[in-house]
Amino acid sequence: MYLNCKSMKTKFGFLILGLGLVFTLGCTKYPPSSDRIMEDLAVITQYDTKVNFNNYKYYSIANSVVKIDNKDTTYLTNTTAMAILDEISKNMEARGFVKAVTPVVPDFGIQVLYYQNTTVYTYSYDPWGYYPYWGYYYAYYPVYYSSYTTGLADIELVDLKVTDPTNHRLYIRWNAFIRGLLTGSHTTSELTGAVDQAFTQTPQLITTAK
Amino acid sequence: MKKIYLIIILVFFAMGVTRAQESTSLGYKPSAYYTFSWNNTFTMGDFNKWVSQPSMAGFDIGGRYLLPIKGLTAGFNISWQRVSKQYDNQTFTVPDKGIAITATNYRFTWMVPFQAVIAYHFIPNKMVSPYIGLGIGGDYMEHHLLIQEYDIYKEVWDFSLTPEVGALIKFGPFSNLGAIIAFNYKWTTNKIEIYETKSKNLQMLNLKVGLAYILR
Repeated sequence: MYLNCKSMKTKFGFLILGLGLVFTLGCTKYPPSSDRIMEDLAVITQYDTKVNFNNYKYYSIANSVVKIDNKDTTYLTNTTAMAILDEISKNMEARGFVKAVTPVVPDFGIQVLYYQNTTVYTYSYDPWGYYPYWGYYYAYYPVYYSSYTTGLADIELVDLKVTDPTNHRLYIRWNAFIRGLLTGSHTTSELTGAVDQAFTQTPQLITTAK
Repeated sequence: MKKIYLIIILVFFAMGVTRAQESTSLGYKPSAYYTFSWNNTFTMGDFNKWVSQPSMAGFDIGGRYLLPIKGLTAGFNISWQRVSKQYDNQTFTVPDKGIAITATNYRFTWMVPFQAVIAYHFIPNKMVSPYIGLGIGGDYMEHHLLIQEYDIYKEVWDFSLTPEVGALIKFGPFSNLGAIIAFNYKWTTNKIEIYETKSKNLQMLNLKVGLAYILR
C-alpha cells in the first residue's frame, strides 16, 4: 500500500513536471500580433559615404511624383505630391543647396518614386488525419484569401556632375525610403514629417559650396 | 527600482515567516521536490537599455533532490522568459554604410535558461524551509527587433550564473504540496549586437512564485 501510494505520488510529480514542460514549450516566443507595428511609417536613408557634398551646390527637382503600382505608371501632381516635393526643396535649401534656374546646370537631380504594391496571399488550415480503414487522408478545408498593400516613397538624389558615360550610369548619392503598410491612411503632414525625418537623420547631407 | 525593493522586502518577509514557524516540523522526511513557478523578470544594466520594461511573461520548472549531506540539494531548472517593449520613432544607424532607419520598433528577447542548481536548505524538515542556491548553466536567447513586418534578430547561446535566495513553504505537516518563492540575480555572457546596439554580459533579476510537489 505504501509502495503504491509512493508510486502514485511519483507519477503525480512527473505529471506536474510534464505540465510545466508543456506550458514552457507551448508558450509562443512572439508577442501578440495586436502589439505589433502595422501602420507606422518607417524612414530609411542611405548616403554615399565617399562623396563630399561640399562639391555640390545646385539641384533640380521633378515636378511630379512617379507612381508605380501593380498595373501602371502614372505621374502624380495632386496636393500631397506637391507638398512632398515642396518639403524636399525646403530641406535642401536649409542645407545650403540652391535650386538651379536656367542657364545654371544642376549638380543633383531629385526624383520621387512612389511604389504601391498589393500582395494577395492564400491560407488554409492543413490538418491531416489517419483513418484506419482508408489509410492517410487529407481533410479538405476552404482556402481563405487575404491581402495587404504597402506604399513606398523613394526620394533619390542623382549625381548629374559626376557620371559614368561609358556605362551610361548615374550615381545616386542619397536616397530615402518612406515605407508604410497602407491598411489605414497617412495624412499629408505625416508624410511631410517623414520627409523632414529623412533629412534629420542624414546630417551629412549639407553643403558650404559658394 | 521601487519594485525591486518591494521584491527584496517580500523575500525577507518570507525569511521572517520562516523563523516564526521554525518550531513546526514536517511529518515526513522529504527526498525531493519539483516546482512550477511563474517567473517575473527585471532587466538590468545594458539589458535594461535594450528592453526597459519588467516582464511577467515567464515560467520555470525545477527539480531538487536531497543529497546525503543534511540540507544540501542538487537539481535543475528549465525556464521560458520573454521581455518586450515598444519604442516609438527611434533611429538606428549603420555609420560605415551611411544607413539610418527611423521607425516605431518592437523589441523583445526570448530566453530559454537551463541550469544545474545546488542549494542549501537551512532547516529542510520544517514547514518553511529557506535556502540559498547557485545555478550554473546556459541560456538560448533570441534578440528580436521588429520594424513593420520585418524581423531582425540574433540567436545567442551563453553561460550563466544565478545566485538565489528563496523558501519552500509546505502546506501542512503531511501534505506533499507546497509553495515556493525565490529571488535571484542572473549574470550571463549573452550579448546583443543589432545595429549600433552593443550590449554584453546581460544581467537581470528574477522573482519566482509557484507551486511545489514534495516527494517523501
